[in-house]
Amino acid sequence: MADFSCLVVEDSPMMRQLLVFALARIKKIAVTEAEDGVDALRKLANTRFDLVVTDINMPIMDGLKLVKRIRSDETHKDVPIIIITTEGSTEDRQRAMALGANAYITKPIQAPQVIAKVKELLKL
Amino acid sequence: MSDEESEQRGQRTSDVPVDLTRERETFVRQFLRKGVELTETVLEENKTLHDKLNAAQREIAMLRAQVASDDAIRDLLKKIESLETERNKLLEKSTELEETTRQKETRNVEVEQELHDLANLYIASSHLHSTLSVRGVVKHLKELLQQLVGAEIYAIYLMDGDGTAAKPLACDGVELSALSPVVKGEGVVGEVMMTGIPKVSERWDEGGTLEAPLAAVPIMVRDQAVGVIAVATVFEQKERWAAVDHELFKLLGSHAATALIAANLYADADGALVALSGVAGHLTQPPSS
Repeated sequence: MADFSCLVVEDSPMMRQLLVFALARIKKIAVTEAEDGVDALRKLANTRFDLVVTDINMPIMDGLKLVKRIRSDETHKDVPIIIITTEGSTEDRQRAMALGANAYITKPIQAPQVIAKVKELLKL
Repeated sequence: MSDEESEQRGQRTSDVPVDLTRERETFVRQFLRKGVELTETVLEENKTLHDKLNAAQREIAMLRAQVASDDAIRDLLKKIESLETERNKLLEKSTELEETTRQKETRNVEVEQELHDLANLYIASSHLHSTLSVRGVVKHLKELLQQLVGAEIYAIYLMDGDGTAAKPLACDGVELSALSPVVKGEGVVGEVMMTGIPKVSERWDEGGTLEAPLAAVPIMVRDQAVGVIAVATVFEQKERWAAVDHELFKLLGSHAATALIAANLYADADGALVALSGVAGHLTQPPSS
């Protein structure tokens, strides 16, 4: 039984699989996948998550809108959020952090970097 | 004593001359005095000896205590020496362990990176071949280039029927309609198409274009180039090619065409069973050259 549950929100199946693989390296985490922001909100409504990892550029609802919605949700307002995106500018990073993201990782990802950040946020 | 003897004694005393009596008394007095003096001397000497004995005993006790203390100090010094030797051994061991731990941590980081790279390759390959839809294969090719390699502006070219030029099949960061066919042998991309040898530049200071891309990777079927992937630019956060990028380019070069051919052929077939008909026949035929 895992100690922590993590929601991965990513519209690219390839990236989603890579993130799930990276997170599987951390023994105590159970991972749930969502294809976009709307799918993520559905899952957040039914389950309490300890961590959210989300892309920004997604159809239907993008990652920044999702972050805003999560921060206004009583159950998840304090949950750590990691943004993983191709957008690498300082302005993009600042915007995401201002909305309430806890970490900002650019693609292409390095699994060791993602793992280190997750461990830092979950205090593992 | 009988009366007669007493009378005789008295008679004898009165017979002793007075000088001798006096002499006898003097002698006795002298004897007694000397005895007293001697006794006093002896007593004094005894006291002196007694004092000396006490002093000697005190000195012995002190010396004994000092010897014991010296022994204790010697023991402590030996103990300190032994503890210092043990401490030095432990420090040496600790340094060795630190070095081993550091090497293990370094190796751990390397292994994690290798694992990540292998995961990239496995996921790229499995997704490329997971679909028999041409659109699906092209979508996966684009995802692979964008998400795993970090390509920002790129184009995928496929050779036309006569094999003299390659037409743009898909792209990102630029309009497909804006791209011209690439003639085999012309320019960087055309040369790669002709030679089948990829060109991957490590120098990014001047940037890249689709005409002079940072990476031009031939799409191969056996030894023949049937297309090219040209990566003009990458995302600004990407500083250099990673080892896994070169492996992804190799994978793209060898698997992209296969995936496209399979999807293309399947598109003309009327379902999976039709597409599979004749497979057994191929096994009985001699292999083609």
